[in-house]
Amino acid sequence: MAQKFDVVVVGAGPGGYVAAIRCAQLGLSTAVVEREWMGGVCLNVGCIPSKALITAGHFLDRLRNDAPEMGFKLPKGEVAVDMAQMQKWKRGVCDRMAGGVEQLLKGNGVTVLRGEATFKTAQELGVKSSSGEESVTAKNFIIATGSRPIEIPGFAFDEKLVLSSTGALALADLPKKLVVIGGGYIGLELGSMYAHLGVEVTVVEAGKGVLQGAADPDCVQVVARKLKKTGVEVLTEAKAKSWKKSGSGVEVVVDVKGAARAIKADKVVVTVGRKPNSDQANLKGIGLQVDERGFVKTDARRRTSVPHIFAIGDVACQPMLAHKASHEGVLVAEVIAGKNRAYDAKTVPAVIFVDPEIASAGMTEEEAKAAGHTDLKVGKFPFAANGRAVSMMETDGFVKMIADAKTDVVLGIHIVGPEASNLISEAALAIEMGARLQDIALTIHPHPTLGETMMEAAEAALGHAIHVIQKPLAARKEGAPGLRADA
Amino acid sequence: MATKNVQLPEIGEGVTEGELVNWLVKPGDKIEPDQAIAELMTDKATVEVPSPIGGIVKELKFKEGDVITVGSVVVTVDAVGAGAEAPAPSSHAAPAAAKSPAPGAKLASAQAAAQPASAGANGMEIHPPPASSKVLATPATRRLAREMGVDINGMAGTGMAGRVTRDDVLSARGAGAVSGGPAAYQAPSVPRPAFTGQGGALEERVPLKGIRKKIAENLQMAKHIIPHFTLMDEADVTQLVNMREELKAAGEKAGVKVTYMPFVFKALIATVREFPMFNASIDDAAGEIVYKKYFNIGFAADTPQGLLVPIVKGADQKSLLQVAREISELAGKARDGKLALDEMKGATFTVTNIGSVGGTYATPVINHPEVAIFGMYKIQDKPVLKNGQIGFIKTMNFTVTADHRLIDGAVAARFLKAFIHRIENPGVLMLDMM
Repeated sequence: MAQKFDVVVVGAGPGGYVAAIRCAQLGLSTAVVEREWMGGVCLNVGCIPSKALITAGHFLDRLRNDAPEMGFKLPKGEVAVDMAQMQKWKRGVCDRMAGGVEQLLKGNGVTVLRGEATFKTAQELGVKSSSGEESVTAKNFIIATGSRPIEIPGFAFDEKLVLSSTGALALADLPKKLVVIGGGYIGLELGSMYAHLGVEVTVVEAGKGVLQGAADPDCVQVVARKLKKTGVEVLTEAKAKSWKKSGSGVEVVVDVKGAARAIKADKVVVTVGRKPNSDQANLKGIGLQVDERGFVKTDARRRTSVPHIFAIGDVACQPMLAHKASHEGVLVAEVIAGKNRAYDAKTVPAVIFVDPEIASAGMTEEEAKAAGHTDLKVGKFPFAANGRAVSMMETDGFVKMIADAKTDVVLGIHIVGPEASNLISEAALAIEMGARLQDIALTIHPHPTLGETMMEAAEAALGHAIHVIQKPLAARKEGAPGLRADA
Repeated sequence: MATKNVQLPEIGEGVTEGELVNWLVKPGDKIEPDQAIAELMTDKATVEVPSPIGGIVKELKFKEGDVITVGSVVVTVDAVGAGAEAPAPSSHAAPAAAKSPAPGAKLASAQAAAQPASAGANGMEIHPPPASSKVLATPATRRLAREMGVDINGMAGTGMAGRVTRDDVLSARGAGAVSGGPAAYQAPSVPRPAFTGQGGALEERVPLKGIRKKIAENLQMAKHIIPHFTLMDEADVTQLVNMREELKAAGEKAGVKVTYMPFVFKALIATVREFPMFNASIDDAAGEIVYKKYFNIGFAADTPQGLLVPIVKGADQKSLLQVAREISELAGKARDGKLALDEMKGATFTVTNIGSVGGTYATPVINHPEVAIFGMYKIQDKPVLKNGQIGFIKTMNFTVTADHRLIDGAVAARFLKAFIHRIENPGVLMLDMM
C-alpha cells in the first residue's frame, strides 16, 4: 500500500532538503526522495568538494609564492602533493556535511526514501531502489531534481579521460596537463585550482573572453590577468572539435580562430554548463509544462502548471545556484502551509571562486542603464589601499559600487579580490534593504578589515573616499553631486 | 474542434475550494457560455459554477463529494468553432547552447531571471502581485504588505528616496480596512496536536472541510484576538409578550410570522445608538477604532450544514414588519443552503437566539471583526411577590458578550440595563422610532 504524506519532495539537494525541513517544521507530514546523495550535487560533487580543493590549491599557491617573502624558508625543491590524501580529506568534508543533512532531516521527522523517483500519476510517485519499488502519494509534491552537466558532441563523459565537473573533482592522481573546455565559472574554478596545484592547464573558450556575461567586465579583467600570471593558457574563439586517445592520455583537436591545433593532455574536462533535469521522473508525462530551455515552468510561487506540484532550484529557473534553491524551498513550504508568499527577492548574490574571487549582487552598469537608470554614480575602491589586504598580501582587485545618481540608491556591488565571497552578503543586504550610498558610508566598519572597502567604495561613489585621492571637495561647486551628505 | 479545459474560477473573496454537490451537466451535453455546470458548496455558501465557454461537455474531472480547489480543471469541453487553446506564453528564446557562456555561467545577469518566472503556467493569480525589482522596501516590509493583502507595486513611499516604509504599508491597509478583514487575516500559529484514538470501527474519521472548517477557523481567530466577557440579566417581558400576541395576528394578515427577534433588533438598535462602541470594529493593522453609522444585524441560524449568520442590512431603516419578513426569508434560505455570499457579509452586530432550542444562559463567541454579540433565551413563567401577593410574570434572559479591549464592564452593564428598560417597556420603542 502506498504511503501517504502531506508533502513529498523529490531530490535532497540544497533546495529539496531545505524545503523538506521547513515543511516538517510547519507540521506537514513530509518525505524526501533521493537517488544518489544527501545534499545533492552541491554537497557531494559541486560547491563543497570544489571549495575544499580550491582552498587546498590556494594554500599551496600562497606557500609557493608568498611564504618566502613573509619569512618562511621552504625546504629545497617542490612541495609534494599527496593527491590520495587530499581526496580523502575532501571526501571527509563532504561526508560530514551530507551526514549533517541526514541528521537534520531525521531530527525534524522527515521520512527519507532512497531510490529513483518516477511519477506514475500526478498523485502517485514510484520510488525504485535495489530493494524493490514502492509507491508514495501526497497532497503536494516539490520537484527539486536539479541539473546535470551538458555534454557536447564528440565528448561523451566517460569520467576517465573525458571528465565532467564530477570526475574532475575526484581525480586519484594529479595530472600533468589538463584541457578544460568552457571558460565559464565552473571551468575556470577547476582550471585555476589545478593550476595552483601545479598542473599545466589550457582553457578552450568559444567566446571572445572568459566569464563572458558571468560577471562585471572590470572584475573579469583582474582574473584574466591573474590567470596569465599563474600560467593558465586561455584560447579564445576556440572550439573543441574532437579527441582521441594518445598513450595513456588524450589528444584534443581545437579550432582556434579557424586554425586547427592538437593539444596533448592527460585528461580533458568539459564544463560548458548545466541543464535542468526536467526530462526525468516522468515530469512531462504528468503534464508539467517545460520551457524551451528545459526549465519546468512555474509562477512566482514556484507552482507548476499542475497546481499541487511545485518546482524549485536548478530545474525551475535561472540562476542555477544553491542558495536560490534553498530560498525557494522555504518559500514553497510556506506556500503549501497556507501562507501568502511569492518570490520577490531583489538579488541573488553570485560568487565565482576563481583567483581572486569574484562576487556580485545586483546589477552591472550595463544592466542598470537597461533598467532605466540613465545617470549612475560608480565608485571603485582598490584592495591595494586597504590595510588588511596589504597585511594579507592579497591586494589584487577592488570593490565597485553602482548607484542611481538621482536617489543614491545602491543598484549593484561587484567585488573582485580576497574574500569577495564573504564580503558580498553586506552588499546583498544593502540592496534588499533599499540602502543608499550614505547608508553604507555612514555605517562604521571595523578596522583593519577587508570590509572597510565597502564603506570606502560607497564614499568613492559619493566623491570623497578617504584612502584614495579624489578631486578635493573644496574645488567642487556647491550642490554638485557627491557633496550632499544626506540629501 | 478543440478540447478546452474549464478551470474552477474565483468563486468569492477568500474562497479557495469547494465541495462538489452535484453536476448540472453530463458528458455529451451541449452548453452555452456562462451556463452553470455544477453546484459547489464552499465554506460560505452553495454556489453555481459557470463555464466561460460553450461547446460539448467531454469529461467531468471530479465526482460528487470531491473537494475542488480554485484553478483546477473541472471539465473539458469540445469548443465548437473555436480556435485551438492559446499557446502558453513563451519566454525568452536562446536555447541552451552547448557552448559557453552556458546557462550555469550566467551569474551577474541572471539576477532578473528568477523573477518573472514565466507566470501563467497554471492560470492561478497571485495576490498581491510580487514586488517588482524597482520597489524600494525592505524584505520584511514587502512580506508585511503581502500578508496584509496590500499591493506594494506603485505605492508612493514616504521614506528617503521614495522608500516604502512599514508605516506606509500599515496606513495603506487602514484605508481599505475592515471590509477585507477576515480574508487577509493570517491564522495564528496554534498547536495542532494529533488525536490518537483507538482506531478501527469504534471511530470514524472525516475531513474537516467546507463550512465546518470555516466555522472552526473563524471561531479560533475570534477567540485568539478578542478578550471576551459576558454579562447576563433577566427581563420581565410580560408586556412584550402581550404586544407580540396582538401584532402576531396583524402580521399573519400581511403574510409575515412575527417572532420576538424583530423586537429585540429594534430595542438593540435604539440602545446601540446610545452606546456606539457596540457597533464598532477594531482595525488592528491600523491601530484604529472604526465606529459604524449603519446597522447590519446578523443573526445566528442553525442549519443542517452548521452555523450560518445571515444579515438584515440597514435594519434601522426598516419597519418592524419588514425586519420580521426578512428574518423569516433569510432563515429559510439558510436552512436550504441557498444564501448568497453577500447575504452573509458585512454584519456590524450579531444576535444569537439560543432560547428557541433551550438553555438558560450561554457565553457565545463574537463574530470578528464585530465587537459584541447579543444572546436571547427562552421565555419562562415566573412567580413573583407583588404588593404582598404572588403573581406571575413572563421572563426572558439576555446576555451581552463584548470585546473587553473596547468595552469596559461597567459600560456593558449600563448597555444591558438600557436594553432591558426598552424590552420591558416596548412602548418606549415608539420614542426611538425614526
